Amino acid sequence: MKSTLAYKESVIDFKAKADELLPEGASYDSCLNCGLCSSGCPASGLEGMDPRRFIRMAMLGMNEELSTTPWVWTCTQCKRCMYICPMSIDVSLLVGLARGAWPEDKKPSGIVRSCQAQLLDSGTSAMGLRSEDFIEIVEETADEVRQEDERFKDIKVPIDKQGAYFFVNQNSREPAAEPEELAPLWKIFEYVGADWTYASKGWAAENFCMFTGDDEAWKRMVRQRVDAVNDLGCKVWVNTECGHSFYTIWKGVERFGLRANFEMGSLVSYYAQWIREGKLPVNADWNTGGIKFTLQDPCQLVRKSIGDPVADDLRFVARKLVGEENFIDMQPCRSANYCCGGGGGFLQAGMKEQRHAYGKRKFDQIMTTQAGYVLTPCHNCHSQIEDIGGHFGGDYRVVHFWTLICLSLGILGENERKYLGPELAEVGL
Amino acid sequence: MGQGERYYRTELAIIGSGLAGFAASVFALARGIASAQVGNTGAVAYTTGYLDLLGSCRGLWLDDPWQGLELLRESEPRHPLSRIGRTAIQAAFDQFSGALTEMGVGYTAPAERNHLALTPAGTVKPTLSVPQTMLPGIEARKAGVRTLIIDILGLQGFSAKEFVANIRSSWPQLSTAKLSFPDMESGGQVFPEVMARALEVSSHRERFAERIKAALGDARLVGMPAIMGIHHPDRVHAELQRLVGVPLFEIPTMPPAVPGIRLREMFEQGFPAKGLTLVPQQKVKRLVLEAGRATLYLQDSFGEVMIESKAAILASGRFLSGGLTAERGGVREALLDIPVTQPESRADWYRQDYFDPLGHPVNRSGVEVDSSFRPLGPDGEPVNHRLFAAGILLAHHDWVRQRCGAGVAIASAHKAVEAVADMLKEQ
Amino acid sequence: MVSGIETFETEVLIIGGGVTGTGVMRDLALRGIHCLLIDRRDLNAGASGGNHGLLHSGGRYAASDSETAAECRQEGDILRQVAPDCIDDCGGMFIAVEGDDPGFAERFPGYCEAAGIDCESLSPAQAREREPALSDKLFAAYAIPDATVDPFRLTLENVNHAQQLTDSLFLPHTAVESFEIANGVITGVLCRNTKTGGMRRILVRQVVNAAGAWSMDVARRAGCSDVSLLYSKGTLIISNTRITDRVINRLRPPGDGDILVPGGTVSLLGTTSDNVDDLEDIRPTVAEVERVLIEGTAMLPCLEGTRFIRAFSGVRPLLLPAQNTADGRSASRGFTLFDHRDQGLENFATVTGGKLTTFRLMAEKTGDLVARRLGNSRPCKTATEPLPSGNAVRWTEPGFAPRFWYRRNDPTDMILCECEMVPQSAIDSIIESAPGAESEMTLQAIGVRSRVGKGSCQGSFCSIRVTSHLYDRGVYDSARGLHSMRDFLSGRFKGVQPILWGEQMPQIELSEALHCSLMGLDRLDGKANDPEKEGSG
Repeated sequence: MKSTLAYKESVIDFKAKADELLPEGASYDSCLNCGLCSSGCPASGLEGMDPRRFIRMAMLGMNEELSTTPWVWTCTQCKRCMYICPMSIDVSLLVGLARGAWPEDKKPSGIVRSCQAQLLDSGTSAMGLRSEDFIEIVEETADEVRQEDERFKDIKVPIDKQGAYFFVNQNSREPAAEPEELAPLWKIFEYVGADWTYASKGWAAENFCMFTGDDEAWKRMVRQRVDAVNDLGCKVWVNTECGHSFYTIWKGVERFGLRANFEMGSLVSYYAQWIREGKLPVNADWNTGGIKFTLQDPCQLVRKSIGDPVADDLRFVARKLVGEENFIDMQPCRSANYCCGGGGGFLQAGMKEQRHAYGKRKFDQIMTTQAGYVLTPCHNCHSQIEDIGGHFGGDYRVVHFWTLICLSLGILGENERKYLGPELAEVGL
Repeated sequence: MGQGERYYRTELAIIGSGLAGFAASVFALARGIASAQVGNTGAVAYTTGYLDLLGSCRGLWLDDPWQGLELLRESEPRHPLSRIGRTAIQAAFDQFSGALTEMGVGYTAPAERNHLALTPAGTVKPTLSVPQTMLPGIEARKAGVRTLIIDILGLQGFSAKEFVANIRSSWPQLSTAKLSFPDMESGGQVFPEVMARALEVSSHRERFAERIKAALGDARLVGMPAIMGIHHPDRVHAELQRLVGVPLFEIPTMPPAVPGIRLREMFEQGFPAKGLTLVPQQKVKRLVLEAGRATLYLQDSFGEVMIESKAAILASGRFLSGGLTAERGGVREALLDIPVTQPESRADWYRQDYFDPLGHPVNRSGVEVDSSFRPLGPDGEPVNHRLFAAGILLAHHDWVRQRCGAGVAIASAHKAVEAVADMLKEQ
Repeated sequence: MVSGIETFETEVLIIGGGVTGTGVMRDLALRGIHCLLIDRRDLNAGASGGNHGLLHSGGRYAASDSETAAECRQEGDILRQVAPDCIDDCGGMFIAVEGDDPGFAERFPGYCEAAGIDCESLSPAQAREREPALSDKLFAAYAIPDATVDPFRLTLENVNHAQQLTDSLFLPHTAVESFEIANGVITGVLCRNTKTGGMRRILVRQVVNAAGAWSMDVARRAGCSDVSLLYSKGTLIISNTRITDRVINRLRPPGDGDILVPGGTVSLLGTTSDNVDDLEDIRPTVAEVERVLIEGTAMLPCLEGTRFIRAFSGVRPLLLPAQNTADGRSASRGFTLFDHRDQGLENFATVTGGKLTTFRLMAEKTGDLVARRLGNSRPCKTATEPLPSGNAVRWTEPGFAPRFWYRRNDPTDMILCECEMVPQSAIDSIIESAPGAESEMTLQAIGVRSRVGKGSCQGSFCSIRVTSHLYDRGVYDSARGLHSMRDFLSGRFKGVQPILWGEQMPQIELSEALHCSLMGLDRLDGKANDPEKEGSG
């Protein structure tokens, strides 16, 4: 039997941290050991771990093991355990702490590189897209839209427009890899007459620094973006179809005590608002074949941030778009939804086998709906759900909201249909 | 309002997401009372799925719970069930089990007699209404049908051999088999919830059915741990039966178990669709009672939620759900510090024998109510005419030992909603 | 029920499976002597399992009993050498808080010096830096070399080693009924199997009475009236987590709630001292818990909000010189070896009194006597021969099982007790080969040999999982397994009942729902299981 004293200095004391960081009555000390968290966690069993074990190991002083278990990179910090727990114990917070304690060279390099890329340029893109390139791509793509579609020959794609109502962020994937996918979003803004702008600074959505467990880097990232919005004097920072970017800013502002002179909103809520106001007169008339759709609630946006109100907006929009009878919810859903396994940097962590195992529950959920399409306003969800579909042999596609909105409005260009199946390739052209 | 603040206005606010809270929502919805239900879940997540009305009175198992209620009225007049008429209790149970069936988890309609329901230990317990997926086993034991009991590789706390060893005396013709679940054959831990969700996929059902058939032998029925789906148990049950070719039934398991998750997710899905405002999984921080309104304050991850209502039902449960707290000096009601009837001192809370058939005095502690189920303040008068109470938070019952948890929850919720309706009508 | 008498034969029968009895067993086995150890219950069922596991530096007795203090120091040093696996050399502190006698605090270093105990004076700031949980009302502090020891591990290792050395045997649930004496020599001991009611005759050459608090009773059954004991009941409470790194002692004459001892992953706060007359049904009470807690809170204010998971009581057998009616605190903590020659017996010895820290010395002195009587001249080896570590007896150490399981990394080795993270492989090894495995290994017996049921749920969940596993393994094939689970939970409840408040209340509410509503354990007996046959009308 060794004294616990010897380890004290070098390793995180997880139990003490739980006592310090978690609310009274919801600390690890309150755990009833009932296992609801583990039963409801897709990461249970990976690396021999699950949330209850994480708590128990902390209570038993197994700090070295917790500091080194690779499980912390398979837990996506989705907080479903906390949602399910009768005592509301949050395991994910200390998972983040454990991640941060890993030596930089031992952390999954994909996540670390993405964070490093973000820190290199004022645009904060995790794909290393520099601001001048972003602006160039946006302008070129906008020109193509103007040329291709008479109806959008004057479409405005403002950058750094001082005092614009909406500051719009942009996941790097579109400008870096599939710029044609940028256009549907712009068309929607144009359609509703939104006063919006991109920015040359802090425009990127993704924040992998948060996933490295490095609070300083997370803070730096959020500050750059908050400063960019403050500088332009925009009223609302709008998170486009990306999950964690909402959480990272909203939570980051609170956690690091930053001053944000603007509101934070999700594009999904605005879709819903514009539909209700009649500005986006979408309908499901195009869905003559009765194609079935289901919906993935991004944990970062729903359970971890806004909660069921935004989940309800998502469903409202989805039902309008595809038709009441063609919408089939996954079970469970809304705030109780399972993480798909694409979050928390898992996609970039290089742990493919574990990520697929994690995604099996999501895959089964989708299979149960028998839907042909999965709608989701999150890029990580999008990629992971496509990937597990391929891996487990699912016959479904994953699609952005903007694609269907433009499809429904008859303004979706021919080359903006990458994620649609052949049955929809011609619809509305 | 700042970022994350939300404000709702409604007629009735129901505090608590346990069985009593859900029952209150069912009854309020049926009466067309605009309602919001808030507060985190407690014991409901751990339920067997059985809806007990009254299983034990004066230490005796009850075959006829209705007659039991008469006995209870004589011996325990302050018991919540003794303060509600039989017709009302029956109506409440009918309505609630009917609502569960309608929302997707089929339940037997309450009858004249208790069922003798199966437990994972191979013991039985008297209960009034059971999930349809569990009914065939209860009937098969009565009839002594030759039955195969299966358990599953990696599923802890449920052993077919244990079940059989303990029930053999009243049900001799049993055999056992241990099966592995499709795609979960490693021998590592498996959770009932995960298997239940997997069985919602047809390909898993087909493969699992094949394994059951291979183990069937001369059994005419198959019992298994409760894993037949979360959201459509009756459909999964029927499909599996069709594939296996004999009737199947479920046996509840220890937590984390499927029956509780089923009910919780069903309510969480079903109620918002019916127009109920539901903020589950968050504890109510404050309840402010003022002239003309009752306002609830709670905090979720995004910010403060306020719910303004004309009436509130306190169905916050006992210790597990946080409705009551136990300090060294005494038991307290957590939200408003409403007086709690309780034993003289902590030394009197528990009897020496854990399994003493009399149960423990602290279990009978709780909130007192008037004839309209309004909780009483220190002066013996209702705390507020807008505030009602329901569920196991009430004093003078021992829901565990008397097997009356669902009974108290459902009947008192019914009573409280009636009283709310009367109050709203008056205004 | 009784079908014949089982007969056993041994050189030395040792009565009492506590740390002393098992210590004697190993001591004699190291001299090549075969022993049979019996206990009316199981290992450590008395004071050996009902103490705080402190390896005394001697500081506690420095002021009142410098002989015992010096003995503690010496024995502590020996155990650190020979049984390091059983010891957490965490260090200790004596502290005085507002209201304590400053004079006593000032004299303390002098007492320690007299007993040869290292004592480092600390400023209040230094003390609180080392142990932040200490009260800010602290005015004097000394560091002393206290440590903790796992009495269950000691006992199990002792038996295990003795089994290996001379095929010595341990029989649990074996209570002495009577002695067969001829010409001043005990030739046989008649015992009853307390589980089955069956009789056992043990033919012996020597008998050692190490029955702890029961040794007076055993001696009287052999016709010896020279053992006179005072029964002093002590109650302790266990927290959900470890509160301090070191042993914290109150710097004042011994009193209630004056010590907090780390127990691996938890802390133990103790103790009370109340004289009792009856040894049966010793259980901690709410009033005792309140007393230790109120006193303990003066040293460590955080105890006010600490989650406690269990209380337990032990009875100290304190030697009483005839006509002495002293209270338990001032009676001697020294031990005595009775050779009973003046009682007319040649081959009977009783060793009693003493304390956990000095068990080895007690065993040595007893071993010397018994070996000499057997004509065995080999010397005692326990002061130098390291205590080996057996595979099936490692599971009592807090935090060992989870580390073992984690390193082993076998996904099929499922965890059965989630609180203490005890895997199936541990349970299997205990069932197969831990001391006592020859007879039925009940949940209670598994609990004595592992951390099963010791965590925050106090067996609520693991009892169900382990029982299912035992049925699956074929250990049970009848209702006996359920009865065993019920008995185990009833036993745990004795200790749970007095600490039920705060965060332990949701836990017990859930437990009751599980054990009664889900499993029906409150209705296991007789006809109550079937209302159809019973009928309520």
